[in-house]
Parts: sequence; structure tokens; C-alpha cells
Amino acid sequence: MRASAIALLLASIGSMPQVAAQTSPPEPACMECHKPSETTIDPVAFAKSVHGGLDCSACHTDGVSKFPHASNPAAMPDCSGCHSGSPSPGIDFDKIVAGVKASVHVKLVDPAFRCENCHSPHTFIPASQMTNAAAAILVFNQSCLNCHAAGDTAAAQKLAFSALAEKHRLFPHWELHIQANACVECHTPRGQQGLHLILPKSQALRNCATCHAKNSLLVTKLYTHLALKERAENGWLNAVLFNNAYLTGATRNRWLDWGTFAMAGLTLLLVGAHGAGRWLFAYFRSRS
Amino acid sequence: MKRRSGYPLWLRFWHWSNALLFVILLITGISMHYSEPGAPPLGFRADVLVHNAAGVLLSGFYGLFLFGNFALGNGRYYKVVAGDIEPGLIRQVRYYLWGIFVGSPHPYPHSDERKFNPLQKLFYLVVMYLLFPILAVTGWALFFPERLPEATLGVPGIGLWALVHTYTGFCLSLFMVVHVYLGTTGASLGELFRFMWFGEPNRAQPSPAPAQEFPEKSSANSATSAHAEVAVLKEDS
Repeated sequence: MRASAIALLLASIGSMPQVAAQTSPPEPACMECHKPSETTIDPVAFAKSVHGGLDCSACHTDGVSKFPHASNPAAMPDCSGCHSGSPSPGIDFDKIVAGVKASVHVKLVDPAFRCENCHSPHTFIPASQMTNAAAAILVFNQSCLNCHAAGDTAAAQKLAFSALAEKHRLFPHWELHIQANACVECHTPRGQQGLHLILPKSQALRNCATCHAKNSLLVTKLYTHLALKERAENGWLNAVLFNNAYLTGATRNRWLDWGTFAMAGLTLLLVGAHGAGRWLFAYFRSRS
Repeated sequence: MKRRSGYPLWLRFWHWSNALLFVILLITGISMHYSEPGAPPLGFRADVLVHNAAGVLLSGFYGLFLFGNFALGNGRYYKVVAGDIEPGLIRQVRYYLWGIFVGSPHPYPHSDERKFNPLQKLFYLVVMYLLFPILAVTGWALFFPERLPEATLGVPGIGLWALVHTYTGFCLSLFMVVHVYLGTTGASLGELFRFMWFGEPNRAQPSPAPAQEFPEKSSANSATSAHAEVAVLKEDS
């Protein structure tokens, strides 16, 4: 499937795979055959992924015992077989499933739309483990571009991307906007739980100040954990979200802002005091 | 004989256009920096468009400023001359801190040879030849963020450019506040504003009524009155 390079955003966040990924698990036996081919699994990316500690047979349960394999992707167990309920605070797979079912992907594209259409279980790293927002955005957006800017060749993909980018001309620097933001940030409702509820394009966010603001929408989306950590450490508001970008209205520093308030206030105070002094002196001199 | 003008038309046009554009840039700049959903008056998108347009125009007017200074001779008023630093700055600061209150004569009254007092000249030099170019260069750079280096002085992205642009604009805004206030230090509160608007010191001469607000300024020693005297002398000659 073309979605092989895509990270699974939230659907498979769980403690067990994270720990497993950090301990460099042994390669699954399947890799002896599948490793050399670029069309199959990248063993390095797989080992780093959240599923890196799992054996292939954990998901590939059917038809792999014989060669050639008779595995049918459509018959594979659904991700919800392992990922269900609310394994950690802020994650609710039942809501995610409900979001997907309410999204245009299910309603307009395929009633049997599957998680792995967007999220490659072979490379997925959860957002909470990503410390570089810019790099994360590239990964996230690639899952969308695999279908929405698809092409058989690099040139065709570039052309498809240009056509997609053209639709975003309402933004100043529209090419940068779609490169520096995750698609789901504007194409889903507010709130982290809505990330899988892809809206019709007519309902995409168009109010600039939704993101260009102190409480930027971006803070409530993919990078909440980064924002809270950075804010607690050094007081920069939202800065970590844009560690490779500057977002007018959102990239604020409270110390600089307070400094400007203080300097502006002091200037007005001095000017006012000087003017009042001139008036008073003139008044008393005119009476004397 | 044709009346001599204190401030030529191009200079007044540049000055007031600058003022209008800068106020627009200040309002839209603050609105963008403190942007919130639904915040008045224009909305973020309109703020960006207006800010960009005003910035381009202001850059154009800076070209007029340079032309006027280097081609039309207005630059001579910006040249630092002997005595400007010592004792000029001290005398001027002392005047603002004390002399202006007790009705002392202006230490450096306007004349055709000297339009700026030493302190004024120093501030104008910093503002027009240092801060404004920084503001313009960073502003234009932000028009082409995709062409900026990936990191500037270790700061990734356009962060440093935006930061310098924002806070240089802030410093210039403070300058504008002080500039407007010092505009009230003529013979009357509005005299220097009228002078800058009409360009003719005669028309800027105060009526007796406003002079009462600051009686000490009604003397012939006040800055603009001195300028007016020069103009009248030249007319008579």
C-alpha cells in the first residue's frame, strides 16, 4: 500500500510498543526475505517505530505460513483489535474510531476505510515521542499527500502537489503554509480528539486568527505535550511548536511583551509628567 | 518677492505621509502581534494586507527621503557639526529638564541653517539611518520567508527577522510618541504642527490666545519665532 511511509498519529499509542522500540528488539524472522526489497519493509524504520518490538505475525495472522503468501490485507485484523478504550490520558480510541466513521474518508471515500490507509504500522512513531514539530509535520502530511498528491513518478507527484497547493492560495505564502502545518490542523474540528474527523473542505478552518493567536489552535492539536513542557521550562509561549518557524500572533514571549508594556508605559508617563510640569510652571509664572 | 517656505512641499508631503503610514503600520502591527479570533477592527487577514501595503508605501517614501536629502540638499541638516555633541547635547538636555519649565530661551532655535537641535539631530540620525533601514530590510525579508536562510545567528526559521522587525517597530513607535509630544513645545501647543503642515513660519505664528498656555514661549526667543524672524529678514532683504 502507498501509505507505507506514514506515521500512525494516535491510533496506536501505547506503553508496550514504546518500551519495546527503545530496547532494539531482534529482527523478526520475516525480515530475512523482506529486508532487501525497497518495496517492502524498511527494517531500520520499523525497528524505530512504535511497533518495532512486535513480531510480524502479531498483525499478519493469515496466509503467511506458506510461500507464496496468500495474505489478504483486507482480511487482516483491524487495529482496534489491540488499540481500544483509553490506554493513557488524552487518548480514547473509541472516539478516534467514531471520528473516522464521521469523517469524509468513510462517508465519501470508502465505508471500509482502514487505519492503515493513512497510518503505516511499520513506521509509526506517536506524536508524543516527536520533539521536532517541523519534522513531525512532514511525516503527518505525507500520509495525506500519498493520496491527495499521488503520482506514479516524482514529476507527477510534484505536479499533483502543485495543484493541491493552488487550492490553498487564500493564505499569504500559501506554499509555506501547507508545508509548515499539518493538514489535519485545519481540516479537522478543534481539539485533539477530532484529529481523525476529517471535514469536508467546505468546513476547513479559514479564520487566520485561529492559529495566529496566543492560544493558537496548534497548541490544542498535535503538540500539546511539547507546548506544555517548553512553557513550564522557560516561559516561551508556543515557541516550541514553531521551532523551525515563526507564527505571527502566536510566537510570543511574555518577558518581551511585558518589557514593551513597561517601556511604553514609562514613556507615556514621562511625557505626561513633562507636559504637566510645563503647564504648572507656565501657570504659576503667569500668576507671579 | 516670493515668500520663502520653512519646509518645502516634498518634505511636508513625505513627513505627513510617513506619519499616516506609520500609524497604520503601528495599529495593524499591534493587531497582528496580539491577534485573537474575532478581534477587531479588521481581522488578521485584512491586517496583513493593509500592513504589507503600508509597508511598501513607507519604503517608497523612504526613497523620497533619501532623494530629498542627497539630491535636494536637505541632508545638510543631519550633518553633525562641531559643538553638536559637546556642549550641544548637554545644553539641549538641560533645556528639556529645566529651561523649558522656567521659560529659558531655546538653546538652538530653528533657522535656515539649523533646523534640528543637537539632540533632535542625533535621534533623527539613529531613527532614519539606522532603525528605519533595519525595519524596512526585515520587513521586506518577511515578504520572502522562503528565501531566508534556514537559520540566522543560530535562530532557526524567520524568528530572528520577525523579532527584530517587531521590536524595531516598537522602538520607532516610542520615538513617535516622544516626537509628537515635542511637537507641542513650540510657542503654542499647535504651532509646530501648523508649521509642519503649512510649511510657512508666518502662517504658523501663533495667535495671542494659545500663547497664553505657555506664556514663556511667546517671547521672540522661542524656536519658531526665531525662525520666523529669519524668514522675515530674508523677505525684507
